[in-house]
Amino acid sequence: MPQPSELLQGTLELLILRTLELGPLHGLGVSDRIKQVTRGVFHVKAGSLFPALHRLEQNGAITGEWGPSENNRRARFYSLTRIGRAQLSREKRNWKRTFTAVNLLLETET
Amino acid sequence: MKWITRTASLFRLLFRKQRLEDQLDDEVRACFDLLTDRYRAQGMSPSEARRAARVEFEGTEQVKEQVRDARVGAGVESLLRDLRYAIRALGRSKGFTAVTVITLALGFGVNTAIFSVVYAVLLRPLPYAQPEQLALIWSNFHSSGPRAPSSGPIVREIQQRSRLLQEVAGIWVGTGTFTGEANPEQVKVASVTTNFLSMLGVKPAVGRVFLPEEKFGGRPAIVISYGLWQRRFGGDPNIAGKGIPFQGASLTILGVMPQDFQLHFPQDSNVPPIVDAYVPFGDLARFPRTLYYIRMLARMKPGVTAAQAQEDLNSVAAQVRATYTEYSAENLTFEVAPLQRDTTREIRPTLIALFAGAGLVLLICCVNSANLLLARATGRRKEIAVRASLGASNGRIVRQLLVEGFVLCTVAGTVGVALGWLALKALLQLQPDYLARLGNVGLNAPVLAFMAVAAILSVLLIGLAPSLESFKFDLIESLRDGGRTSQTPARRGLRAALIVSEVTLGFILVVGAGLMIRTFEKIQQVRPGFEPQRLLTFEIDLPGSRYRNDVARAQFVKDWEQQLAAIPGVESVGAISHLPLDDYPNWYSPYRPEGVSENESAALLADHRAVTIGYLRAMQTRLLEGRYFDDRDRNSGQRVVIVDESLARSTWPGQSAVGKKIETEHFSNGGFKPGWTEVVGVVEHIRHHSISKQLRGEIYIPFEQSSRPHLSYVLRTRVEPLSLADPVRDLLRQRDRDLALSKLRPMTMYMDRAKSPARFTAVLAAIFGALALVLAAIGIYGVVHYSVSRRTHEMGVRMALGASASDVLRLVLREGLVLTAIGMALGLAGALAVSRSLQGLIYGISSVDPLTYAAALLVIAAAAILGCWRPARLAARSNPLDTIRTE
Repeated sequence: MPQPSELLQGTLELLILRTLELGPLHGLGVSDRIKQVTRGVFHVKAGSLFPALHRLEQNGAITGEWGPSENNRRARFYSLTRIGRAQLSREKRNWKRTFTAVNLLLETET
Repeated sequence: MKWITRTASLFRLLFRKQRLEDQLDDEVRACFDLLTDRYRAQGMSPSEARRAARVEFEGTEQVKEQVRDARVGAGVESLLRDLRYAIRALGRSKGFTAVTVITLALGFGVNTAIFSVVYAVLLRPLPYAQPEQLALIWSNFHSSGPRAPSSGPIVREIQQRSRLLQEVAGIWVGTGTFTGEANPEQVKVASVTTNFLSMLGVKPAVGRVFLPEEKFGGRPAIVISYGLWQRRFGGDPNIAGKGIPFQGASLTILGVMPQDFQLHFPQDSNVPPIVDAYVPFGDLARFPRTLYYIRMLARMKPGVTAAQAQEDLNSVAAQVRATYTEYSAENLTFEVAPLQRDTTREIRPTLIALFAGAGLVLLICCVNSANLLLARATGRRKEIAVRASLGASNGRIVRQLLVEGFVLCTVAGTVGVALGWLALKALLQLQPDYLARLGNVGLNAPVLAFMAVAAILSVLLIGLAPSLESFKFDLIESLRDGGRTSQTPARRGLRAALIVSEVTLGFILVVGAGLMIRTFEKIQQVRPGFEPQRLLTFEIDLPGSRYRNDVARAQFVKDWEQQLAAIPGVESVGAISHLPLDDYPNWYSPYRPEGVSENESAALLADHRAVTIGYLRAMQTRLLEGRYFDDRDRNSGQRVVIVDESLARSTWPGQSAVGKKIETEHFSNGGFKPGWTEVVGVVEHIRHHSISKQLRGEIYIPFEQSSRPHLSYVLRTRVEPLSLADPVRDLLRQRDRDLALSKLRPMTMYMDRAKSPARFTAVLAAIFGALALVLAAIGIYGVVHYSVSRRTHEMGVRMALGASASDVLRLVLREGLVLTAIGMALGLAGALAVSRSLQGLIYGISSVDPLTYAAALLVIAAAAILGCWRPARLAARSNPLDTIRTE
């Protein structure tokens, strides 16, 4: 199982943005969702998740708000901003282009 | 858009730090709680759940630290934090901080002072327009050797034939007397080609300088110095165009040179830095072809290198040799020497040696500080371990140590520069007046920039040593035994290397200092060929307009000497054309012993001196053979000379010089003429040029047979020499109101000045050596003391097992002394290598002077024992029970 450290930094941000596209989540929620959707391939630990969330927030891509969590504890919920949506669609395009290019390369290799 | 939010974040970070921290804290805790809840829901006990959550989190503090690192401006912020922390930590250990700061400040101070001098003398461009284009041109003759002056026609030939020189100028400095209403005043006067001053590109303070193409046939003109203008003419702003009486003629003042104007020429050019008046040469082409006395300075065309100019002048020399037989016989060649390099030629080795010495001192200071920091870092293992377990990465800890080094160096650097400034003031008190440009030494931007670079390098050096150490340590081990490891005696590792290098550097410095001190001691003991105590000297120029011929001059001098001898307190009187150790342009010429052909004698060259009959006796110069001059040797008498022992020995080896005949040059009625003379005496060699150098042989000619108008008088006194200054002045005023007397001073002053370079070097080297010794002793003390305090447990056990106090004492001493011995062995090798390069600065001793080396070995060993002694006693006196109990 690849550790988050093996993920490109941009990739982790793409994963987080994509996860938040569906609706606001708190930190642990983001981590859970990534793990669930990627069927356990990516397990993002707190040590990588929180710095990434903060970076995104600083850049204005997401914004955090305190709210009640599922078991009535307080948690900070993050949602996408306009800047974030723009960044997401840009990075999606980038990723697809990269993905296609790498695939092409791998296919011609074999 | 993005930068706005980022700037806002930075703003929040720097100014709303607390809120940001609280928020981070809340968020991480909330997440942690959520995770704990989840594990509990899976059926774990509360403590199990928290443990599982912690494992999942890999440490909440570490997570927070990573978030902090991800923030905008995290670097700035955490650096500020490190800085604050460093200042607090250093404030807590005041003793350590004080010792380190003082050590480093000494190193920086020494370097500030020395580099200021190095910069001012060697590096700063000369204060002329495009100084890099200026170069001296020396003539090399077969008979007089290299670096000789040139004649007027030679200057003219170069001016006309060279292709790469923009301008060629000439200068010769003599003396002259201003007369008129005020007291007559004798000053240094430079005869210059009309392009000389304009070529330097210095703007005059008043009026103008000579124009290159200007001719001053019937209307003599003069340019004066700022000092003379202020002193003699009260700074009269309308001075330009006025006529002044000078040397019995009236000259028109063209202008005044600026206040800080100096001539930066090498010492052997006989061009002093301060010249009070400039008069134009006549037509150079009409000067005698073989009267060599003019110094040439040229400006190369833009972009021309000295090497290219040299090529150019080689071909000029070939053309000149082909044209004139006089010059081809002499095999005349020219040498181009860039002015700045040539001017600093003599002082450069000294300054470089001193600069290297200062560098070594700084290195020792750094090593010492690194040592202290290292000792402290090891003592702080527990603190560092705690910080590591609280989430600090290895890099963070190293950075923290570097920041501490930085704080130390900043404080020490500031103190050091201030210290250096004071040291510089003291240095200038030593008045090494051969450092012509020392007048404007100071703290300036280049010096401060150099110190900043030195400080940064020092930070790296002293901060990295403890960092290296901190990489290798084991977290758990350090936490468990609280930093009281007993397995690291000073013998091992980095600290040992530091001590060894400190001793090595210290040894080299002490040897260097020893050699300089011994050199100065030898110079102090040199007999200059006369007795300098109780000797008053002064100069008088007899203007040619009033003392026209040899007879008039001889009459004046004879009467004047009699009057001087009659002053109470005067024992004997004499006069010489060129006073020893003075800067009057030298008179050296070829001579020819009888029986030697002109061709063979071409390389025989001697310093010529015209002396009055009483001179050698008044100077107490020892007569080795024959007789002194006496009344037989006046104008009408037979032509005779006295030679010095070196000339006698080299010319007539194994024979007596007395009675031999030589052809030598005489000065008579305004010109030099050769003539046959008989040697009547041999005297000891007089050091005319330098106390430490014996240059050429000497020929003394009776003044009345070679009556040069410029004379320096010497009065052997029974009383303090300067107490006779006023009687002498009064006497001259009665005798001739228009004669000026200058340089009224005791002979000891010339001696002191001649010794000042050696004294300057010796004093500085001694300071460096002493610093090195003290620093090495402190360094050894620090390390051994530290090692002992770490090993109290071991010592206690040893003593409990039966080791005596003296056993422990020996153990500790041995540890320090083994390191010292290794350092001394390396230092010995280093010193031997270094002393060879000091050869040129040493006088009277061998560069491997056994006394110096023995003293260095002894002194360094003593310093090491001193450094080890206290800690060793401490260890030996420790009570085994106490030491074991404290563990």
